Amino acid sequence: MNTIFPIAYVVWLGLWRRKDAYVLLILMGAMLLVLSSLNVFGLGGKVVYIADIGLVLTWLFSALLAVQIMARELPAEQSRGTIHVLLAKPVTRFALVLGKWLGAWAAVSVATLVFYGTVAVLVYARGGHLPGPATAQALGLHITALAIITAITLIFSTRMNHDAAAAISLILTGAAFLVIPRIPEFVTSETGFTAGVMLVLYHALPHFELFDLRQWIIHDFGMVAWPVYTQILLYGLAWITGCILVAWMTFRRRHFSRGDRML
Amino acid sequence: MSWVIETEKLGVSFQTRQGTVAALQDINLKVEPGQVFGFIGPNGAGKTTTMHVLLGFITPTTGSARLLGTDVRLPLARQHIGFLPEHPDTYRFLSGRELLQFTGRLFGIRGRDLRRRIDSMLEEVDMTATADRRISTYSRGMLQRICLAQALINDPDLVILDEPTGGLDPIGRQQIRAMIAGLRSRGKTVFFSSHELSEVELVCDSMAILVGGRVVVQGKLADVVKPGQRLESYFMDVVRSRAPAGATHA
Repeated sequence: MNTIFPIAYVVWLGLWRRKDAYVLLILMGAMLLVLSSLNVFGLGGKVVYIADIGLVLTWLFSALLAVQIMARELPAEQSRGTIHVLLAKPVTRFALVLGKWLGAWAAVSVATLVFYGTVAVLVYARGGHLPGPATAQALGLHITALAIITAITLIFSTRMNHDAAAAISLILTGAAFLVIPRIPEFVTSETGFTAGVMLVLYHALPHFELFDLRQWIIHDFGMVAWPVYTQILLYGLAWITGCILVAWMTFRRRHFSRGDRML
Repeated sequence: MSWVIETEKLGVSFQTRQGTVAALQDINLKVEPGQVFGFIGPNGAGKTTTMHVLLGFITPTTGSARLLGTDVRLPLARQHIGFLPEHPDTYRFLSGRELLQFTGRLFGIRGRDLRRRIDSMLEEVDMTATADRRISTYSRGMLQRICLAQALINDPDLVILDEPTGGLDPIGRQQIRAMIAGLRSRGKTVFFSSHELSEVELVCDSMAILVGGRVVVQGKLADVVKPGQRLESYFMDVVRSRAPAGATHA
């Protein structure tokens, strides 16, 4: 534990000092301001509409940020040659992997909190409100989903360069959000082998839709029952643990020669 | 005797498309405490690979290696080690002081001890005045110095330097030489690789010559190189013939 937190802290500092999150925040603020002043389909600046678009953008930006930060960390250590300096210290490979993940996740979580704050300010400015308990629950699940996304990206970043790891992670995350929840619909129109493959994919890939409580906030459905909420958190925890273990297993036997600087 | 560095029949092989390539074969190194040990050889001889095995970046295919009596595969083996790579670089978004804080914490140094150690290291590398500036604003020489400070933050018993004078101007080389002499005077062991044979001649007590992944000569510099002979000419003879008479063959 002694080495995990210093590593995580440097990842955290790197994010804020490279100003990635500020850029995204400015973009989001600008987009929300523009959106709230438009009158699309006659809906105008309706509070529900602002909250919906704002939360969609929050999910999109936070997922992008999670993948970008995590995909960069380990490959950057290799390309700079600082991986050698780090591993020459009494740092285990597990501590390095866990520290990198923890730093990236913490930074993305704070950025997400700020995004939620931005949405809330805009909604309140229009005379609306976000239901507090439901929003807190949604934020908790959102941050858990980001932990899974960073952990999945971590796996790819142990063996690939930044671009490759980011591309694959984005495709996987996008598919998990958009395609996987719809697989049961496709399966009903397929038979035999194709249906079997689809069902395997359905169960093997992460279900991010479980972590998405946007509609609960927008339509003020109240809170998710705690037993259900806890089960979703445990499902997330299982994914996070599994991904970090896989990342460690792929990283622990990795040789770091001088040639790695050229990756 | 307890050796600071000890390898036994150390071998490293890599799988390539052309087959298995033996990068290191039967390396038997023994480095005594308090010595400055030069590790020399032509390009591609395996110097950096050997260092990387010692530091745990590469797992040996055969044999074993120990640092200060601990198997190099254990993180504990690196608790009392300092390492400066050939082309040092670091987190440029940190200040020099933050880098030393980070490194100290990795060694478990905290609080007042860490602050005292940082101040002492900054003074040693003459960077007290620039310690709070971002590393991204440092010159190459300053970068080298702050990386050196982070390599020594834990007051290591063994310092491993990979081509420490490569690319430095005469003043920078002089500073590295002075640093190595200072470490020796404090009883530390320094293990360094270099192409600069004049540097090795100036600062080393012992040396090993690596050719084609094998240690072909190892011993005290005074025993290996005859009086009046230059290390460079001896080195050239060794590389050409692999093992001249009169040397202690490894």
